[in-house]
Amino acid sequence: MGLRKTHTPDARRAVIDREHPRDLDGLLDQLRCGDVKQRRWAARDLARHPQATAALGAQLLRETEPSVREALLTSLQAMPGDSAVSALLPLLRSENAQLRNGAIEALAGMPLAVAPRVAALLHDNDADVRIFSVNLLGELRHAQVVPWLLQVLHDEPEVNVVAAAIEVLAEVGEPGHTGALRAARDRFADDAFIAFAANMAIKRIDAP
Amino acid sequence: MKAAALARREQITEADFLKFRDFFYRKTGIHFDENKRYFVDKRLLDRIEATGADDFRAYFIALRFESKGEELQRLVNAMTVNETYFFREAYQFDCMVNDMLGEVAKRKAPGSRIRIWSIPSSTGEEPYSIAIYLLERWPLINQYDVEIMSSDIDTTVLQSAQRGIYSARAVGQLPKDYLHKYFDQRSDNEFAISRDLVAAVEYSRVNLTDAADTRKFRDIDLIFCRNLLIYFDDLSRRIAAEAMYDAMVPGGFICLGHAESMSRITPLFSVRRFADAMVYQKPMSGVRP
Repeated sequence: MGLRKTHTPDARRAVIDREHPRDLDGLLDQLRCGDVKQRRWAARDLARHPQATAALGAQLLRETEPSVREALLTSLQAMPGDSAVSALLPLLRSENAQLRNGAIEALAGMPLAVAPRVAALLHDNDADVRIFSVNLLGELRHAQVVPWLLQVLHDEPEVNVVAAAIEVLAEVGEPGHTGALRAARDRFADDAFIAFAANMAIKRIDAP
Repeated sequence: MKAAALARREQITEADFLKFRDFFYRKTGIHFDENKRYFVDKRLLDRIEATGADDFRAYFIALRFESKGEELQRLVNAMTVNETYFFREAYQFDCMVNDMLGEVAKRKAPGSRIRIWSIPSSTGEEPYSIAIYLLERWPLINQYDVEIMSSDIDTTVLQSAQRGIYSARAVGQLPKDYLHKYFDQRSDNEFAISRDLVAAVEYSRVNLTDAADTRKFRDIDLIFCRNLLIYFDDLSRRIAAEAMYDAMVPGGFICLGHAESMSRITPLFSVRRFADAMVYQKPMSGVRP
């Protein structure tokens, strides 16, 4: 007993024979199987197969095991691009907050692929999706974030979407944006929260 | 540069500091108190000058929206202190012997194996600190087989760890009796660690973001992964966390550095608060792929 050096071959066992096929078709089959263990490993290993992004996204919509969901999200993040964005965007409509947040986090890591979709997202029929899209802008590293936020302040009819945009602009805004904040405040003159949020943002941006 | 612009560049206002602090905390989990203001300002001003930004505002906007996150990483490097020595952040070793290993042992019969993984090994201070703590301060050490594995991506530091030669500064936090017991002092500034301890640690080269490397690790009860993830980008952090999750037994523990937060990386692990430290735990019901 005591300290013992690892000599047992299973300690860091060489990966020679995997129990299940690791090719694309085999992994896709395992992704849909009933065994959590297999699904999680399939999700991880599919990160090497860009053709699998749609299947990963579809699995996210039906997957109930959190540890598999995390592996699915990580694999999609590892393959940033248009098809990964297409696989992730439907999750913004999910009722599951963890799934939505996971999608926003993953999408935030692929700004160049997300950018062409922002205009459509900000005009989505569902106000909740527009709110989540503004939340995404808050995490997105892209030079157009401020112009997109200003567009929301100017055009958006739903007060909660505007409130979300004001919150982000409070952090990233510059003195030149206070006019847009004042205009949004005036546009929702009857809404006390918008007045409060806009004033706070202006104060923060104008702080010496 | 004109005097007014120069003055602007050399100034971080209170509002700037608060704005930066909020952002940096959200991205990294590192929180700076007011008393760190000088430290933060100095490094921010260094980066503002290095990037050629006109002032804080311009620098912050560039930092906020740069697509690759490279400047954020440079800033993290500047804001964190990368040093290693024996018994660094020892409260987690206290937690290991006072609580975590007790829980692990309860799930195993005496004589069973307990497996600990220290990554990154750097030059060996951490895995050897773990070994010394176990031998000196864990009462059950003689009832279990404890395996210490330690890995690093850098083969140079792995070689150094296996040589086991340390400066006076590196061993400065060790109690004197431990120093005499486990080291051979060769000069004022050269201490050679016991070859028995070197022999007790299994070293390996591992890239924590490469599944081909990490898939080999199984049945780990306790991982020390301190002050490493903070240097990774968001995706690499997630990949590393996934790898550690799959390497661990259900109920296994992870210790991160004091400025690191697993909750900001992934919801895979639960937070456990013990008397000595807050650590992360793979749920007992978790799957083991």
